[in-house]
Amino acid sequence: MSVNKDCNRTSRLRYRLDDFWLSIGIFTFVFYCSLISNYTFASPVYNQLLQGGVAQTELGLKPTANINKQNQDVYFYAWGGDAQINAYIQWAAKKVNSKFNINLHHVKLSDTSEAVSRVLAEKSAGNNHNGSVDLIWINGANFATMSEHSLLLKHWAHKLPNFNYTDPTNNPAVTFDFGIPTQGMEAPWGQASLTFYYDSLAIDGSVNNQLPRTLHQLLNWSAHHPGRFSYPKPPDFLGMSFLKYALVVLHENSDETIKAQLSQVANEQNSQQVLSPLWDFLNQLHPTLWRSGQHFMQSGAQMRRLVDDTELSIAFTFSAPEVPAAVKRFDLPSSIRSYAMDDGSLSNTHFVAIPYNASQPQAAQIVANFLLSPEAQAHKQKTSVWGDKTVLISTTLSPEQQALFKTKTAPPSALPFNSIKRTLSEPHPSWVEVIMTGWQTRYGVNP
Amino acid sequence: MTQDAKPDLFTQIVKFSPRFLLAILILPVFGGLIGVLLPAFGWAPALNHYNLSFTGFSDLWQTAGIGKMITLSIATGLVSTLLAFVITLMMLAAFFNSPWLQRIQRLLSPILVIPHAAAAIAVGFLITPSGMVSRFISPWFTGWELAPNGIFPHDSYGISIILGLTLKELPFLLLMALTVLAQPELGKKLRQQHKVALNFGYCPMTAFFKVVLPSLYPLLRLPVLAVLAYASASVEMPLILGPNTPPTLAVAIMHWFSDVDLNLRIKASAGALLQLLVTGGLLAIWIGAEKTIKYLFSDLLTNGKREYGDVIWHKITAVVTTLLIGFILLALIGLVMWSVAGFWRFPAIVPEQFILSHFQSALMQMEEPLINSAVIGLMTTVLAIVLTLLCLEAEQLSGKNLSGFISLVIYLPLLVPSIAFLFGLVWFQQLVNNQSAFINVAFTHLLFVLPYVFLSLTSSYRQLDPRFAQVAASLGAPPIKVFFKVKLPQLFAPILIAAALGLAISFGQYLPTLLAGGGRISTITTEAVTLANGASRRTSAVYAIIQMALPLIGFIIAWLLPKYFFKKARI
Repeated sequence: MSVNKDCNRTSRLRYRLDDFWLSIGIFTFVFYCSLISNYTFASPVYNQLLQGGVAQTELGLKPTANINKQNQDVYFYAWGGDAQINAYIQWAAKKVNSKFNINLHHVKLSDTSEAVSRVLAEKSAGNNHNGSVDLIWINGANFATMSEHSLLLKHWAHKLPNFNYTDPTNNPAVTFDFGIPTQGMEAPWGQASLTFYYDSLAIDGSVNNQLPRTLHQLLNWSAHHPGRFSYPKPPDFLGMSFLKYALVVLHENSDETIKAQLSQVANEQNSQQVLSPLWDFLNQLHPTLWRSGQHFMQSGAQMRRLVDDTELSIAFTFSAPEVPAAVKRFDLPSSIRSYAMDDGSLSNTHFVAIPYNASQPQAAQIVANFLLSPEAQAHKQKTSVWGDKTVLISTTLSPEQQALFKTKTAPPSALPFNSIKRTLSEPHPSWVEVIMTGWQTRYGVNP
Repeated sequence: MTQDAKPDLFTQIVKFSPRFLLAILILPVFGGLIGVLLPAFGWAPALNHYNLSFTGFSDLWQTAGIGKMITLSIATGLVSTLLAFVITLMMLAAFFNSPWLQRIQRLLSPILVIPHAAAAIAVGFLITPSGMVSRFISPWFTGWELAPNGIFPHDSYGISIILGLTLKELPFLLLMALTVLAQPELGKKLRQQHKVALNFGYCPMTAFFKVVLPSLYPLLRLPVLAVLAYASASVEMPLILGPNTPPTLAVAIMHWFSDVDLNLRIKASAGALLQLLVTGGLLAIWIGAEKTIKYLFSDLLTNGKREYGDVIWHKITAVVTTLLIGFILLALIGLVMWSVAGFWRFPAIVPEQFILSHFQSALMQMEEPLINSAVIGLMTTVLAIVLTLLCLEAEQLSGKNLSGFISLVIYLPLLVPSIAFLFGLVWFQQLVNNQSAFINVAFTHLLFVLPYVFLSLTSSYRQLDPRFAQVAASLGAPPIKVFFKVKLPQLFAPILIAAALGLAISFGQYLPTLLAGGGRISTITTEAVTLANGASRRTSAVYAIIQMALPLIGFIIAWLLPKYFFKKARI
């Protein structure tokens, strides 16, 4: 007893708690308790168990994509750096749960290559059937890598019922990923173009402060306003896209034989010739960039934040609707306006694919099919949701389905309708590696 | 008295526990190291490499800027640890025996429980060109209408990293020092010796350095070394605050490991070995410097000089402490404001409107990570405390201290850079158990929680007055009764502090959660880091605040429970 009393005295002295911390603590505790109880009793999985399985006849799927009536877990590995996209995937998860009894888990990646590494690690560990990745959001270089290493399930995407809405015979954008045939290894999900946005209070249209509408005007403007423009550090997807945009535009007036190299595999002979205008351009641009081109941001989202901080005055995105959405969330100032460059917008399609060793390939196909449905595609295209352009062709849809895609008037920060005057197609994916290596040796390390 | 004839179950478990502990720590760390060592020398079945070669190392050596990466890692690790250590000592010296020490610790403890990622976010908010500091002086003083061109964060000298790491490690070292001083016997002895020195006319700070520090430092050595090892190989801070042309070695290795080009794995493995070398070298430098200082200055301890400009140093310490606390408060205020800010254009000092929608939308998506964090944290912490207590009890039952080898092994996960063995460990976990990501994550967390729990409990346990246990045993109490009725009640407060620390450590783990869980297990911290480099300041701020609140609950419980229990015990 004496021990306890002794300890009591010291502990009271030592751990006396300020009322302030106490009240914060009680508040937070109660708060978490309510959250946790919410989770236990209102979880959709729980409700689903109570209600029993849901009939799947409404799906109208072909036999290849039949599933059991049990709960199936599908792990969807997708880039998770954007709250809006994450929310859309959550919406899709709720839908596939109520429709098909599938529990879709969004595994948020900061870089898609993490998932590629994971599948490869599993292959090397001899795990050929119970892989952790069921579905993966992918395109470009990651797809090229996975298909080269035979890490993807083949010949399924073109069999999805909703794939017919993409009009594949007349629309090569859904069967070619950066010029590489997809061979049914991936189902199209959305389309994106490189568009720009700027702070209209910072670029006010005065002399020497006109909005740059071409690549060369951009260089000129940046020279007059040093530190107000930059691009994410390669190999970031958006940073690479800017470099590819520059490369394609710089070759606008080149010889046809040189231009043709862009859609072919890059090798040592052609890369030097093709890339030298790009390095010349960057040598001029870099000293005028944010942080004098000595340091680059990590991602497009970080670039957006720098615009909000007023450090940058102009930036670009592969997802135009992200801009008004960010303004609505107060993540960008209300003075932001969107536009597309006059000399062209780099455009591509993004896909979902299934690894060869996925644990639930059937359920994953059902999810992919749902993501392609007019309902999901229309919801995705809404500016307030995600604003990602649909891959469906409206002529294949019924009038009711077409009505889903009707939109309301856009906010001032949104990209005006039909502003993309010309699209530039992506160079062959092999150029990414060459550009990145060249960039790394030239600018990756400060002198 | 039957327990004398045949050891009871409790004693058997206790006796076996150190071996179990060894296995649980050594196997993953060494297994992980082997899983990195083999690819580094070219043996990677996944990539169809079966020949031993040194291409990984030659690739590594030819990497542009490799020298700068190494320099940056060494400089940030060493400088931040040194700063945190020196400031901790100055604070202890200046405020020893003063109520201010507890007050400062209480002010700093929010920082202690903030995971590194959240701390980095908060520091970033403060020092960016559009941060709170420059908002305070614009535009009336500077004339800036747009955020200026600055170098923070991401400066190529690593100053931002040093700032972040120092702020984060300082409260940890201070807590460790206070835990040592809180031991009834040792603390009392040191305080009395300090008083004696004061009576002999020593100035307070001089008295601390001459009388208290020599007994205190040996108990602080391992925490300091752990901080140094961590600082030289951490990923979150340099990722959020550091430069990227080139980044620190650890960040570069992480990028290589996760690169699309799978052949970079070999180079990454070689890099992991290099990181091991860098961290090992730093630890050796620190220990060498410690020995040198001891050798050079041991005379000073006994030269009888009572004063070394104490008044000035006391003032400097007070100023540094005030600046630090001001800096932290400003960072926290900035964090809270961002979490509720509507439009907030530079250079306004307060947002145009205050809204709760960031919290609402973040909380909607937070259920799962929140529950994962809590469950994994509780699981690993409870396990770590039970194991630690059993091992310490084994030490007392056998009557001799755990061997030096065992002590070293316990700190292995803290001293070996996690980036060096985690990738190999994941490879092994894939072989053994590729289905239950949850178990893998909890197990990996245990590796990092265990040492901290051990660190914070060991000294209290070893300093327990053995006479209580001896009296109880002589009255016929079996070991299990002595353990539960005599020892644990005395240790109640330290156990709770250790538990809170364990929870905080588990909540803050980024790389282990990401890798062992294969991204399947999302916690508040993995979400926060994913969003920190993307998303908005507002969402980041919300996550950072939730990240802080979570461990805070642990610490509040650690404060409240002793009151409750001892009230009952008194009745």
